[in-house]
Amino acid sequence: MLSSLQNPRQAAAQLMNFGLILSTAFMMWKGLSVITDSPSPIVVVLSGSMEPAFQRGDLLLLWNRNILSETSVGEIVVYNIKDKDIPIVHRVVRKFGTGPSAKLLTKGDNNLSDDTELYARGQDYLVRKDIIGSVVGFLPFVGYVTIMLSEHPWLKTVMLGIMGLVVVLQRE
Amino acid sequence: MASSQEKITVYNLADLKNTSDDAIPNYLNSLKFRQSHRLTDVRLALGYTAFLLAGACFLWDYKFGFDATKWYTAAAVALYSAINGALTLWIFYVERGTVYVGAAPSGETLRIMSETPRKTVPEYQLTVKIEGRKGGKKETLVVTRSFTDWFDAVGHFVAPPFQSMLASAVPVIGKHDPKRVAPTEEIASVYTPEMLDALSKASVGAVSSAAETASGAESTPGKKVGKRRKA
Repeated sequence: MLSSLQNPRQAAAQLMNFGLILSTAFMMWKGLSVITDSPSPIVVVLSGSMEPAFQRGDLLLLWNRNILSETSVGEIVVYNIKDKDIPIVHRVVRKFGTGPSAKLLTKGDNNLSDDTELYARGQDYLVRKDIIGSVVGFLPFVGYVTIMLSEHPWLKTVMLGIMGLVVVLQRE
Repeated sequence: MASSQEKITVYNLADLKNTSDDAIPNYLNSLKFRQSHRLTDVRLALGYTAFLLAGACFLWDYKFGFDATKWYTAAAVALYSAINGALTLWIFYVERGTVYVGAAPSGETLRIMSETPRKTVPEYQLTVKIEGRKGGKKETLVVTRSFTDWFDAVGHFVAPPFQSMLASAVPVIGKHDPKRVAPTEEIASVYTPEMLDALSKASVGAVSSAAETASGAESTPGKKVGKRRKA
């Protein structure tokens, strides 16, 4: 079916179909981001620090709006630390004060000590805006695909290549 | 280029349909029909606008972060869904499987839509809408034929029977290609499977395009088709 690429409109249409698959996936992700108000509404658990609640590879759905109540002790939250690019999933164990400047302390269920050592240098607590969402749902094991993909980056190239080929070579 | 010796899988309905769809503009344009690309262009414009919007959204998100651009992103998501919805509606309600829109040299405009009405039956259904010159009378023809009429057993597309199917079924086309109009309505009986094979072999040496094949081979199918024909 490569011959169809000779017609510029047909080639443009096939390229468009491929582009629209990518962009639609991206915009759905962004739509979910906007709805949940979280820059990353779905995250994958990378460590066993929250066992037995979450295992490595679990997919978590986050919610980052405080419509009914503030983020409080007992909630499992995902937070970012300055200058570290990997978000951490842990439970809120202490809270001092209320509102956006309330001081929060987190700890992994499976860890012996709280997270003060994980925080940035000189940081002793989290505030609300460090948090990118509270866990409201999870899918066990599904996220293992992304762990595989990030631990073996060449798999990404292979997968993207196959997807691209399929879309370009196949109409309908 | 799609030589008539390019084989497709005869069990693949999409392949049968796509190959036949591609042959229609080839054939009609060779008869000096003027093809209009408006439908396709609108579709491409909608699709690429949506794609560029998503690209822009990706860039500002990457550069400035989520929180700084939240509202732009929300607007982009809404606009993207609107454009994509419009594109879907356009494909389903306006294009409706249109494979050719064009004007005959004599002034009539025609629009050809194709479909394969049943999933498991190799049937090709063309709906041809013809409009006379200057908003004259409108006419709609529906032609249903088996793909076996113009694909041989191994999957070669054979242009003459396909063209004669079009020329016989649609008077406007027949007018511009009288040689292809079959004497009777029953085209299947004009081309037996053996003749299809013979025609397909005959065009090996002579032909470069699926659509522009062979003249005068109908009566003597075994004969090597000598000259390539544009008109």
